[in-house]
Amino acid sequence: MLILRPSRIADLPEVQRIADASVIGITSLPPDRDRLFEKIRQSVESFESDRDVSGEETYFFVLEDTATGRLMGTSGIAAQAGFHDRFYSYRNETIVHASPELAVSNRIHALHLCHDLTGYVLLTSFWIDPSLYNTEWPQLLSRARLLFLSEYSQRFGDKIAAENPGVCDDQGQSPFWDAVGRRFFNMDYPQAERLSGGRSKTFIAELMPHYPIYVPLLPPAAQLAIGQLHPVAELPFSILLDEGFDTDTYVDIFDGGPTVEARIATLRTVQGQRRLPVTVAPAPLKGGKPHLIANLSSEDFRATIAPVLAEGGERAQIAPEIATALNLSSGDAARVVPL
Amino acid sequence: MSAAVNSSLVFRPITRADLPGLMELVGRAGVGLTTLPPNEGELGKRIDASVATFAGTADPRDGLYLFALIDSASNKLVGVSGIAPAVGLRQPWYSYRVGQVVHASEELGIFTQTPTLFLSNDHTGHSELCSLFLDPAWRKDRNGALLSKARLLFLAQHPDRFAKKIIAELRGVTDNNGKSPFWESLGRHFFSMEFAHADYLTGIGRKSFVAELMPKHPLYTSFLTPEAQAVIGQTHELTRPAQAMLVSEGFRYAGHVDIFDAGPVVEADVADLGAVKSSVLLPAEIGPRAPSAHDVPHLVSNTRFADFRVALIPLPRRGRITLTAEEARLLGVAAGDDVRVVPLSTKDR
Repeated sequence: MLILRPSRIADLPEVQRIADASVIGITSLPPDRDRLFEKIRQSVESFESDRDVSGEETYFFVLEDTATGRLMGTSGIAAQAGFHDRFYSYRNETIVHASPELAVSNRIHALHLCHDLTGYVLLTSFWIDPSLYNTEWPQLLSRARLLFLSEYSQRFGDKIAAENPGVCDDQGQSPFWDAVGRRFFNMDYPQAERLSGGRSKTFIAELMPHYPIYVPLLPPAAQLAIGQLHPVAELPFSILLDEGFDTDTYVDIFDGGPTVEARIATLRTVQGQRRLPVTVAPAPLKGGKPHLIANLSSEDFRATIAPVLAEGGERAQIAPEIATALNLSSGDAARVVPL
Repeated sequence: MSAAVNSSLVFRPITRADLPGLMELVGRAGVGLTTLPPNEGELGKRIDASVATFAGTADPRDGLYLFALIDSASNKLVGVSGIAPAVGLRQPWYSYRVGQVVHASEELGIFTQTPTLFLSNDHTGHSELCSLFLDPAWRKDRNGALLSKARLLFLAQHPDRFAKKIIAELRGVTDNNGKSPFWESLGRHFFSMEFAHADYLTGIGRKSFVAELMPKHPLYTSFLTPEAQAVIGQTHELTRPAQAMLVSEGFRYAGHVDIFDAGPVVEADVADLGAVKSSVLLPAEIGPRAPSAHDVPHLVSNTRFADFRVALIPLPRRGRITLTAEEARLLGVAAGDDVRVVPLSTKDR
């Protein structure tokens, strides 16, 4: 059985293995033991924070195979993008240049550096073992975060965003970076990304062009890269699209990858989930449709995918081994949403 | 230096009768002579504007002083030049100001200087030297300098008609087909139009319409092609002598360029112009004048307004001003009238 739960310090070796395997573009999983340790430590504190929240919290989840103890995926939430500093994005804008006298009207695509997404809840750190790509488990890894947000909505704002890696070649060279960032940095993209992983991304954003960029002036390859997703991220991206995230407005300032955003309340999982008391079935459960199901704890948050038998829409009946895995007893409330 | 000059040439305000001659002249100019499009209606409007300005009946916002260089022997119009008393009061006057931004982080070891272009109306209300064109067959014997610098004597004689500051736009770099690398890299993206057509629209007073289609936000020049970056502030090969002449009179490039071809805009305080500072008023004597080895070409003008005239006359550097009867007739001066005099070349002053 696979269970999503908060990461613990003891996970460090496994998380390090995952960070080493993950690709360019997931800067929130740096392959650096000290930084990963710090990430987990902060997460543990965040899950324990309860009402005492500052916005600085970062929540780091792991997907554990309970049979082997092996970690099969990671995902995360940052309570506030750019906390105590700015969070930079490029906003797609259209500028109409028109002259009725000359019978000319042109729509010019421009990128405008902005702080619009500062303070948004940020979904981060998505990585799943390739052996699980064609299963339902990526759904759990991504969407269980939304069940957590639903339960602890007082800890979070009402808007959410997620960065997605943009296109780059096999050497990690990004056509968008080469046309934009490189002109202000004189370094290649992987180098800049290492810097941005190590320091505040804002720090680097301060050095980027602040005036709007007229897209028609960029080379064709860079223009094509704007809002283009790196193929490795298609799976998590498609889950966010299904949830109703908007993809058209913002792109990453470094690689031009799409930064998606939404109001949390409008997301499909948030709208479809229900908080119901559970009934532990006398084993085994007969029937029931697959659901995401999560307990309501913070430090001991647990979520999985399992059949749930709705009892008149007022209670959720689950199998005993699921109840055990999620630390649920009959009468406890849980959040459930159809898969 | 030879003092040989064309004694038959006289510089005077243009008249309506000059239209056929002007049309014939500008037909030879081709792309780049923005303010004189080869279109009889447009040229007629220019002449009318100038005639009205000299007559004092023009709206100050439309003022234009156009001068013709006439070969009095053949009564042929061989050149034209002008002064706009104030630009940008009817339609906005645009130029790019070349600046730079520095992005630096000591901690990251980064220090980049990036040139920028800011759309500006900085020259609004300035006077402008404009519309200069000389028949190629007459590009010799200092005639080009006469046609350009004669305007400076008009400024010296009638400073209250002009702004304190004056500018001149110099033609930017284009290739043999009239294509501007700057336009190809920038302007073309903002509206589907050939440079020559944009230039023409500008010439018939629609530059501000065209400018309204141009990018309003500051531009990082590093987003332009290397060819375009290379021509920012650069003068067309054929315009370099004109630039050198303006620079010798005190004009200088202060970081503004044309929004279409990125040719430099040079600027000066009228009172600081060499010909304005060095010219003097002296009473003219009329009579025979023996040529001297010490003669240098002088610009000599009368002191009138609507019948302003300038000729290029070899005179000794110092001493009294003696005009021949023919020169006096060309300039419309009588014995004892004041004339304004300055050596043509700055090194002779």
